[in-house]
Amino acid sequence: MGVIARESPPVRVNAAGRSAPLADVWRYRGMLRSLVVRNLKVKYQRSALGFVWTFLNPLLTVGILAAVFSRVVRIPIPDYWAFLVSGYFTWNFMQQMLSTGTYVIAEHTGLRRSVAFPNEVLVLSAAVSRLVEFAIELAFVLVALVLLHHHGVPASYALVPLLVALQVVLAVGLVLPLATVSVFYSDVQHALPIALMMLFYVSPVFYPTTLVPSAFQAVYYLNPLAGLLTLFHVVLYEGRFPSGALLGGTAAGAAVIFALGYVVFNRYKALFAEVV
Amino acid sequence: MACRGVVKRFHHYEHRTTSLREFFIRSVLRRPIHVRRARFTLRGLDLRVEHGESVALIGSNGSGKSTALRLIAGIYQPSEGVIETRGALAAVIELGAGFHPELTGTENAELYASVMGLSRAEVTERLPEIVAFADIGDFIREPVKYYSSGMQARLAFAVAVCVRPDILLLDEVLAVGDQSFRERCLERLRAFRAGGGTMIVVSHDFETVRELCPRAVWLHHGLVRMDGEFDAVFAAYRAEHG
Repeated sequence: MGVIARESPPVRVNAAGRSAPLADVWRYRGMLRSLVVRNLKVKYQRSALGFVWTFLNPLLTVGILAAVFSRVVRIPIPDYWAFLVSGYFTWNFMQQMLSTGTYVIAEHTGLRRSVAFPNEVLVLSAAVSRLVEFAIELAFVLVALVLLHHHGVPASYALVPLLVALQVVLAVGLVLPLATVSVFYSDVQHALPIALMMLFYVSPVFYPTTLVPSAFQAVYYLNPLAGLLTLFHVVLYEGRFPSGALLGGTAAGAAVIFALGYVVFNRYKALFAEVV
Repeated sequence: MACRGVVKRFHHYEHRTTSLREFFIRSVLRRPIHVRRARFTLRGLDLRVEHGESVALIGSNGSGKSTALRLIAGIYQPSEGVIETRGALAAVIELGAGFHPELTGTENAELYASVMGLSRAEVTERLPEIVAFADIGDFIREPVKYYSSGMQARLAFAVAVCVRPDILLLDEVLAVGDQSFRERCLERLRAFRAGGGTMIVVSHDFETVRELCPRAVWLHHGLVRMDGEFDAVFAAYRAEHG
C-alpha cells in the first residue's frame, strides 16, 4: 500500500470579503492549459476544414475591404492589402475576445457551481485560446509581408512579441470589467454588438491614423485600440520603429486599462457564484 | 475544518421599474429604482470538524445544508465570519455539472481533475485509476453527451475520489449508479475514512449516511439545531418531521 506523504498542508481561510491573490492563478496553470486544449478541441473537432475556417473568415473580410478601399473608395496607400493585413488580424483578435470572452463566466456555470477555482483563469483561458490561433495567423501575415511587401526582414520585426504582449494585456483589461457587468446585466449582450460595430469605424483598421484630421488626433487616441493598431501598422507595414511616445503611450494605456479592469473584476467576483 | 460565526446572506432585488420611462422618472425624483432585500440562508453557523471525522448534515429542504457545503468548498464567500480548512479539499456537488458534452470521458476527467487542482503529471498518473473506478467500459472514449446520467455521475465521482483529498464534501451523491457501483462507492468512502480522511456528507439517504457518519449535525433555518451522535440527532429530527 502506498502512503501519501504530505507536508503539513496549508490552512485555507475562506473569510468574508476575501479575494484570491494573483499567485492563486499561477497555481491553476494546469487548469488553464486544460481549458485552452478543451476550447481548441471543441472548436475544431467534427470540422473537416478546421483551422481553415478561422483563417478564411478574416481573409475574406480583408479581400472585400481591400477591393472596396483600393478600387472604389481610394485610400491613398501603396500596397493597400499589406497595410490592411498588418492591423486587421489584431482587430479580429480584439473583436473576438470582446464578443466571446465577455460571456466566459456564465458559460462555465456548471463548473463554477461544483468546484472552487479563481474566476480569472476562465478569462485567461479565453485569451490564450485566441492567442494560439492569432499566432498562427500572424505567422502567415509576417511571411506574406516579408516576401511580397518588404522583400526582406525589417529590423522592426523584433518588436512584434512586445506588440502581441500589449495586445493581450489590453484585451484582458477590456474583457475583465465587461465580463463582470455581463454577469449582472443582460444588457451587455444587446449593447456589445453595436459598440463593436462603432469601434470598427473609429479604429484605424481600414484607414491609417494619419488620415484623421490633426485637430481630432488627441481625441482619436483616447480609443485604446487606436494606439495599438497604429503600432502594428508602423512596425509590420512600414517596417519602422515606432516613436517612444506612441509605444510608451500605448503601453501605459494598456496597463491602466488592465489595472482598472482587474479592480472591477476583483471587487465583484465573489458574487459571481450567487448570480450565474 | 472550522466555521466560526458564518453568516450567508443572498440578496435579491425587487425591481420598482418596468420601463425605461419609469426608470428616468424615478432617477430624476430620486426614488429607489430597486429595493435590495437580504434573505438569510445561514444565520451564524459554528461548526468544527476534526481531522479524520465524518459528519452528516441533515435538515429539511432550504435549511442551508448545501449552502454550508458550498461555503466550506470555497465556491461561495461568507457574508460574515471565517471558515478555515486544513488540507486539500474536493467537493462533489452537482455531479458532472462541469462536464463538457462534446468531449470524451477521458478528456473530461482530465479537465475536471486539473480544475480540482492536480498538476499535469498527477493527472496523467491518476487517469488509469479514475477510468478503472468509473468502470463504464468503452464509453470512456465517447463524448459525454452520449452518457446516461448514471454514467456521468460515476465518472464525476471517480474523479473526485481519485484526487485523493484530505477533506471530501458530498452533496446528495450517494444515490447514484446501480447497486454494484454504490457498493464500490461506499467501500471507497469507508477506505477513505479508515485512511484518516475527513468527510462532510449531505444526504437524505439516512440508512447509508448512518453507516458512514458517527456524528450528525441538524441544520434548521440556517442554524445548528442539534449536534451529536448520529442516532440521537436523527431520532430528534425524525420526531419533528415524521
